[in-house]
Amino acid sequence: MNNLLTKNESEKLTQAPPRRAITPRYRVRESEDTFTITAEVPGVERSSLETTVDGETLTITGRRTWTVPAEWTPVYREIPQTDYQLVFELDHRVNRVAIRAELSQGVLTLTVPKAEAVKARKIEIKG
Amino acid sequence: MKLIRYQKLPLYNPITSFTGLRDEMDRLFDVAFPALSSLQRDRFLGDWQDEFPIDLYQEKDAFVVRAELPGFRKEDLTVEITDGILTVTGHQRTESKPDKKGKESNGAIEEQQVSRSISLPDHVAVDKIKANYENGVLTVTLPKSEEVKPKQIAIEVK
Repeated sequence: MNNLLTKNESEKLTQAPPRRAITPRYRVRESEDTFTITAEVPGVERSSLETTVDGETLTITGRRTWTVPAEWTPVYREIPQTDYQLVFELDHRVNRVAIRAELSQGVLTLTVPKAEAVKARKIEIKG
Repeated sequence: MKLIRYQKLPLYNPITSFTGLRDEMDRLFDVAFPALSSLQRDRFLGDWQDEFPIDLYQEKDAFVVRAELPGFRKEDLTVEITDGILTVTGHQRTESKPDKKGKESNGAIEEQQVSRSISLPDHVAVDKIKANYENGVLTVTLPKSEEVKPKQIAIEVK
């Protein structure tokens, strides 16, 4: 997968260089005044999750922080050793500065409010 | 066609293999192409609902099982051990809620259950098992029972 981090964003990641990143399972729901993005990022903790809006792009990067302790012997491994990255293009329909992110038990919920102009507004008819 | 597994997977438990051929192919796929993460591949095959990835580690005095189960509440996860077989189950029940404006929900209830069992190579002290759920990862620590810990045996030479 392409590494979509821009130069500014990769400077922020002062830990080990990013490992190969995959797109997590995610889903986008639309309600009357928000878009809600839910992504499954198990193994990511608050400190290793980054959500950045750079112009029109919303980038979410989550790194798995857990490493195998030295005394442990792996017997069987299925959990992928990859980090997560999710990128969205934002357009005029959303209010970029009011995006909220919550992380709970490996599930990231991003609430992206719709821009005012796009919300339906009833116009009173006088007459 | 005979499928020969050339990598020894001691925990390939027959109980979970009744999903059969597809699982066997998945495992061969993992061996042949370890670069493809199982997350990527399974989304492709569209069948991730039944299984979640697990790791098994061995320490001097215990086994540790890690399972990736994002989005559950602690009370919806069950860890059981019977006869040397550990079963991890996650249960999730979601009801579609009415909209903010009070529109009725369609009443749909989604129930999802995922479960996996693994057999453990050695005996475990069942009463000392501990489980911890953090960041969507369930970690189960299973201390080995006394009699199977490696013990030095003095060799007498006459």
